[in-house]
Amino acid sequence: MRTRAIIARAAGAGTFPALHAASPAPGAHSAPLAATSARSAPPVATNARRGPGAMLGGLAAALLCLVMALLVPATAARAHEATMAVITLREIAPGRFIGQWTMPPVDMSLQPIFPPHCKWEPPELVCGGSGLTGRVSFMGLGSRQSVATIRVIPREGPMEVYTVSAANPSVMAARNPGTDLAVWRDLAETYVNLGIDHILRGIDHLLFVLGLIWLVKGGWKLVKTITAFTVGHSISLAAATFGWVGVPERPLNAAIALSIVFVGVEIVKLQRGQVGLTARYPWSVAFAFGLLHGLGFATALTALGIPQATLPIALLFFNVGVEIGQLAFVMTVLALLWAHRQAQALLPRWGAAIPAYVIGSVASYWFLLRI
Amino acid sequence: MKKWLRLVTAAVALALAPTAAHAHLVDTRLGDFYSGALHPLTDLQQVLPWIALAVLAAFQGAQRARWIILVFPLALAAGGLVSLEVPLPSFGPVLGLVLVAVTGLAVAAAARLPLGVLLGVAVVMGLLHGAQNGAAMVATTDRVLFLSGMTAIGYGVITLATGSAIAFLRGAAWRPIALRAGGSWVAAVGIMVLGLNLARPIAG
Repeated sequence: MRTRAIIARAAGAGTFPALHAASPAPGAHSAPLAATSARSAPPVATNARRGPGAMLGGLAAALLCLVMALLVPATAARAHEATMAVITLREIAPGRFIGQWTMPPVDMSLQPIFPPHCKWEPPELVCGGSGLTGRVSFMGLGSRQSVATIRVIPREGPMEVYTVSAANPSVMAARNPGTDLAVWRDLAETYVNLGIDHILRGIDHLLFVLGLIWLVKGGWKLVKTITAFTVGHSISLAAATFGWVGVPERPLNAAIALSIVFVGVEIVKLQRGQVGLTARYPWSVAFAFGLLHGLGFATALTALGIPQATLPIALLFFNVGVEIGQLAFVMTVLALLWAHRQAQALLPRWGAAIPAYVIGSVASYWFLLRI
Repeated sequence: MKKWLRLVTAAVALALAPTAAHAHLVDTRLGDFYSGALHPLTDLQQVLPWIALAVLAAFQGAQRARWIILVFPLALAAGGLVSLEVPLPSFGPVLGLVLVAVTGLAVAAAARLPLGVLLGVAVVMGLLHGAQNGAAMVATTDRVLFLSGMTAIGYGVITLATGSAIAFLRGAAWRPIALRAGGSWVAAVGIMVLGLNLARPIAG
């Protein structure tokens, strides 16, 4: 699973508040560090009761903390001053902007990279009828600059703010498409592709779907099970994208890995002739785990920092992309199973459980990595 | 009809010739696994003999054909691994064209081959194409992902083609003839491009 960001309202969180949170005033560090120093006092007192050597060690530790408390804020403050850059784009005509560094970068090699249909000849940015929509990033980010922000002041409507960081190297600029078909097409293309990318690169989601196919053995039952999984992940994807639910990334990813282990165990049970939970209630299990996997999908979407106005549309197209990718995967697996049957290339009875063990082992490894 | 046949043959020959000369890394934007998977598919000189091999295997019956589903992807992976250490032999492009011609001719003749010969052709083809694809990796390529993708697509194509050919052959009497006609086209293309190559050798 390649997700990185916590489920959060990226549209809001990825903007100035996040930037401010990352760059407090120079003096702001003093309080926590002073508190650290203060917290180190009790061990000194405890050591005093143990003997002079221990007391001396404790005193040295306290002194070290004091020195750190004095030194660290200064260096940290310098680091923050060197990492911020803000460029403001003011729309002067439909699709035409004038850009200006309102907070210039330390290293002037830092340059914004706009979507391919936009032409950037500083200070002018011309994006045409589609407007500033598509992927925006910065060249030169990560060396001396770690965060850069683009503020877009449209002729109408509220200001849009996109924050790009070394950890989140690109954002998706978008505007409410209204009745403009070209913008709708751009948005559809961008987010459908993103959804396809996400599912095809999300090996853990695919492995879970593979497990479901293995368990349910084709037919209408499989169609209904995959549909239940789809409904489940669509609901939680929407809920997480709108910020109604939020789960920290690590436990979420660990739980997704665990869901694959569960499917592996269910396959082994089935092959031993036992009727497991999934074999008995395939739709319910697929729906429940779909809810879990949907939260994982949402991290890919929220990490992009999508503006609030286009969030529902982005969500819709992203979900369509995920479904296209998932359907392509299911069809490929079913076609391969059919081809294996035609060629009578089936696993011997003694090896029938091997794939289940492989799926379970890989997922267990992921689980251990993610907890 | 003959005119169409000539046109199609010429078009396929043209499509085959330049790809043999250039190593190309496909950027799918989906990472190196999918780059590895897509790489062989962009080269007709690889996909065409894979399909011919699958059809040839289908002519041997399902009991024999199923072995190439196991052997071919493994040979492909082995060829990819070998390419990490050993440079591509200079006779590689010629051998590739010979394999196109040989598999095409065998399909056209609906040849009944001993299992060892069939698997031998699969191993040689897998090793060669694995090495050719592996050689296309650049320094920044994730080798494990790329080779996994290449092996996966080799398995996918050979399995689907073999299964489809076996199912196709189960029908009416004209079906083997149709597949044999297809094999003769592959053979014609292979021989033609091989002749061109011998007259004016393909670089690299």
